[in-house]
Amino acid sequence: MTVTTTPQTRARGSYDLIRYIVMDFRRNLRNVGNSFFVIVLPTALFLFFGASMDWSGAPVGVGNVSAWTMIAIASYGAAMATTSMAGSAALEIHQGWGRQLALTAMPHGAFIVAKATVAVAMAALPVLVLNLAGILTVADMPPGTWLATVALTIAGSLPFAFYGLAVGLSFRSDAAVGAATGLLVILSFLGNAFMPLDGVLLDIGRFTPMYGIVALARYPLTGGDLIAMGGGATSADPLWIVLANVVAWTAVFAVACLLLQRRRTTRR
Amino acid sequence: MDQEPVISARNVRMSFPDGAGGRVHAVDGVDLEVARGEVLALLGPNGAGKTTLLDILLGLTTPQTGDVTVGGRSPRVAVQSGTLSALLQTGGLLPDLTAAETVRMIAALHADPADADEVIDTAGVRPFASRPVGKCSGGQQQRLRFALALLPRPEIIVLDEPTAGMDVSARHEFWDRMRTQADEGVTVIFATHYLEEAEQFARRTVLMDSGRVLADGPTDEVRARAGAAYVTATWDPTVAELERVPHVVRADREGARVAFRTERSDELARYLLTTTNARALTVRPASLEEAFRLLTEDSGHAGDTARPAATVGPEEVSA
Repeated sequence: MTVTTTPQTRARGSYDLIRYIVMDFRRNLRNVGNSFFVIVLPTALFLFFGASMDWSGAPVGVGNVSAWTMIAIASYGAAMATTSMAGSAALEIHQGWGRQLALTAMPHGAFIVAKATVAVAMAALPVLVLNLAGILTVADMPPGTWLATVALTIAGSLPFAFYGLAVGLSFRSDAAVGAATGLLVILSFLGNAFMPLDGVLLDIGRFTPMYGIVALARYPLTGGDLIAMGGGATSADPLWIVLANVVAWTAVFAVACLLLQRRRTTRR
Repeated sequence: MDQEPVISARNVRMSFPDGAGGRVHAVDGVDLEVARGEVLALLGPNGAGKTTLLDILLGLTTPQTGDVTVGGRSPRVAVQSGTLSALLQTGGLLPDLTAAETVRMIAALHADPADADEVIDTAGVRPFASRPVGKCSGGQQQRLRFALALLPRPEIIVLDEPTAGMDVSARHEFWDRMRTQADEGVTVIFATHYLEEAEQFARRTVLMDSGRVLADGPTDEVRARAGAAYVTATWDPTVAELERVPHVVRADREGARVAFRTERSDELARYLLTTTNARALTVRPASLEEAFRLLTEDSGHAGDTARPAATVGPEEVSA
């Protein structure tokens, strides 16, 4: 009788999730399209519209207009990062990478942890780069406010992970995820991110998904005050309006994901 | 062999909605036991249920009824411990990673992986290791999938149509590599519709169609079970003489010769040589392809959906 190695006697190492996350992060970073739209483009936008205008140094809340613009553009970059990350994760799973991963020692839950980690890291990149650009140019805020807005900007990109996931689950194509990411430019404009809105556009904008997370990220700076094109506060959003927008859109996107996921499993 | 089966599946059933209110029985009551070190071919036409069955053996799909154990444990546990691995049929690769990166990335997710460079050499991935997967040919991607399957240093490898998209020489090369694994004692289960592959590589063949096992045994016997031998003789019998010949499944006159399909070629040949004046006998076992066609034709029964027998490997009809 031959002695065979029984599974039980094997050396039981563990899979290396950190290594996987680092490799996946590097892979996404290397994706030129992604990195350009997520990091380079927002930074360029900020340098043009946030750092070199006549009114960039005008005071807003506890800082200046440049800081006001920087926060919103960082939110835009972060939301693009989580949208495309979550959308492509849905596609990867659908295209069979999920089956490949199911043949490894990594449980499915760990895949979600890995993807979430990479998504947050990708979202943090534009935020850090933009804030660095802000510090090096004319943006100005008290240090505590800087930290608070950075944290809120990154956290605010999370609802857009659900948004990207929902698009990835429903359309299952790279083009759809790309379009969803592109749509964020319009949503950001409506979300009062690039330039101060007023009148009807502002009334409409309040109900769009980027409005809440941008306003929330700016809250430490403005205390909810809205500014007009010419500078200076016009009116103010109470915190509850801002939070209601964030919570409502998070719920909408999350429920959409849930329904789409259910549709996918029942169709089998 | 008195060994415990390394894979055991009992009464496995899995059906899917067919989109018209009914259900397709992809796997319909399959029992399967595989011994350690066995090389088994799972043979069947497209839609026979091979992929679904393999998914169930791998724990990727949970069957509606039935039990599956791999090494006495659940398939998922066997996969996580690296005992069981697989080469999947399609997808499963990220186009923007290079081949070598793919190997390293998946290696990170195994508890006790083989050396990535060693696997890259063993699977023949080295020549295109730095090429993005999206730019690799179908055959190269199969080699890469094979490398991934070797990473956990498995005791059982499941291959779902591993040579799909490969040309003849790539196919030979692939099976040479696979043979090396089998010689080292790895249990191999592969699905194929290349009958030639089952004949050349598997000692045991399981013939599947419409979710059921039609035949299961040594590849030679599976072939024999389909009445699969041909005895041909130069003979000019009368109708009555022809009807007296025993063990005949079918007889055809071909000019001066008569061809019999039989399940008992020895007895038939002995009868012809001793009781008749038939001469110049040839006895030839049917190819597995013929056996396959005969068995799938025979299994056609009422209530079954029409199944084109013509899809049964028309590639190489052996003479």
